[in-house]
Amino acid sequence: MERKIPLPLLVLAVLGFAYMLLPILIVVLAGLTSGEFLTFPPEGLSLRWVIAFLQSEKYLSAFFFSFRLALMTMVVSTILGTAAALFLSRSRFVGRGAMRAFFLSPVVLPGVVVGFALYAFYISAGMGISRTIWGLWIGHILYSTPYVIGTVGAALATYDVSLEEAARSLGASPWRAFRKVTLPNIAQGIQAGSIFAFIVSFGQFEVSLFLSAPNSEPLPIAMYNSLRYKFDPSAAAAGIFAITLVTASVLLTNRLVNIRRLLDRQ
Amino acid sequence: MTDKYQTTRRALLKKGLGLGAAAALPSSFYINHAWAQDVTYDGGTFDAEGATLNIGEWGGGWEEFVRKALTDQFEKDFNCKVNWDSSFPWFPKFVTQGPKEPVFDICNWNLPNLTQTKQAGDYFLTTDEVKANVPNAADCWDFAFASGAGVTWAYMPYVYAYRTDAGDPVNSFRDFWAERFANKRGTYGTENGLMHAFFMATAKEFGKDQYDMDAAFQALEGAMPMKISEFTFNMLSLIERGEVDIAVHIEGEALSLKRKGVPMDVWQWDSHPILTQTKTISRYSDPMQKRLAFALLNRTLSPEFLNAFGDEFMWRPTNSNADITAPLKEAGVMNTADATKAFWVPDWDFFVQNKQDITERLNSIFGL
Repeated sequence: MERKIPLPLLVLAVLGFAYMLLPILIVVLAGLTSGEFLTFPPEGLSLRWVIAFLQSEKYLSAFFFSFRLALMTMVVSTILGTAAALFLSRSRFVGRGAMRAFFLSPVVLPGVVVGFALYAFYISAGMGISRTIWGLWIGHILYSTPYVIGTVGAALATYDVSLEEAARSLGASPWRAFRKVTLPNIAQGIQAGSIFAFIVSFGQFEVSLFLSAPNSEPLPIAMYNSLRYKFDPSAAAAGIFAITLVTASVLLTNRLVNIRRLLDRQ
Repeated sequence: MTDKYQTTRRALLKKGLGLGAAAALPSSFYINHAWAQDVTYDGGTFDAEGATLNIGEWGGGWEEFVRKALTDQFEKDFNCKVNWDSSFPWFPKFVTQGPKEPVFDICNWNLPNLTQTKQAGDYFLTTDEVKANVPNAADCWDFAFASGAGVTWAYMPYVYAYRTDAGDPVNSFRDFWAERFANKRGTYGTENGLMHAFFMATAKEFGKDQYDMDAAFQALEGAMPMKISEFTFNMLSLIERGEVDIAVHIEGEALSLKRKGVPMDVWQWDSHPILTQTKTISRYSDPMQKRLAFALLNRTLSPEFLNAFGDEFMWRPTNSNADITAPLKEAGVMNTADATKAFWVPDWDFFVQNKQDITERLNSIFGL
């Protein structure tokens, strides 16, 4: 039976989506301008700034650096975030709520505060990782992991633990029960969390401002610098590629999830 | 307990002497620490044996140009690696690491931020110490050393950029407040150096002197509503589109828009403040890095680099032997002692001491 959405709600939803998508459209159009400056509406359409982006060694190295960093962050955040979510959902102890709030605190705090606090910590601890790729990576993991905890936690909240218990009672080891029963049931939450981690890391600016390493500029910092010293639309052209990458990763993941669902049914 | 753990009086005395000697070690460590050694530089090239030089410099198109025109060749000539950090602001990085672990060996600044850092500790070599080791500094105009730390290598006068199709040409600082520019005036957010200079120049114009903050606040209130931008290039786009008819700006960038055919011109403020690029060298950098920093600053001050830089970005050089780029020369700009005599460097020490009050008040005037 087809479910009908009330008209006012539908209108609100369409307006909401339009409001959220409009900035993306503006970035794309601004990057395709034929004018000299980053303005909207564009003065005619042209690929000159897209070509300028593709020819800019600075932008390309920043783009691929951000891509690698986001991938590395995604992997670690997904593992840590999933483990933390499992721990929080399955443990019963005093202060669990406080611990959950603690795990999620990097998202609540302003990114600049997190970035500067980490920077000061690296220096005072004498770890030798301030302004290195490793220090930046840790910062991104810290900032991205709460998103994984949130999505995996939501998946675990609706997961029926008795399924795993049934597997255990039939002789499966804890690891086998987790791998064969729990993991497939929370896989979508993990995948959503890992996409979030990737996107958050790829677009992270405030934390990178203090932690980025010399000669290794993430894309948002490169775009900011470009706007500071040259207000040309190449920053918007870089934005087009960033949006494309993020959209492609979301679509690809959705596609993979659907394919697996299909295989599972067979 | 066995005999070997029993402490005799003689052993105790020996241990005491050992501890005393160890306690004396830190002082000798500091005396012989690398940064305590004298470093000199005479202008020649040398082999830095692959050492890394940490620099704080602007990024984006600026970095791309400076790398090609200066640092790429510098790395080859001196066998070193330049670690380029463009993640501004520098001040918190310097202060967090402290003077003795300098975050950068050589750093490029605008004066208000430099002054703020200089006031926070013993971070930089004095201008005299730099001059003694940077041969090209001898050819610079006196105002290049006004900061008291480092050397100013390029500068631009502050100007009004205005649309010529919006009425008579601008010829006075107070024209910014003219009725015809109502709601078409442009200035910058409170963290932008151009706003700092505009504030000091406004105090000087409307008050007793540059320290008359109340007069400046009152005048700026009278200029509202204004369009507040964060970046100078963004302001250029507002002028190009006609959203702003007059704006606080700097000479070279504003003229670059005029060269693109936009009906606009610039008027240099009669108090003649200048926006400067100043490079400092960290006092406690290691000897090799300090020597490399001297060498890089020396190359920065060379007429060859300054001429190329001026041609690209239209900044004026502080080296008396360098040339003014052709478009500025055609507009009558000269690089002579007389031409530089009128320049005014606002009292940034005063500004930094009162920065918090100024920022809060300006934010409230701007409605930020």
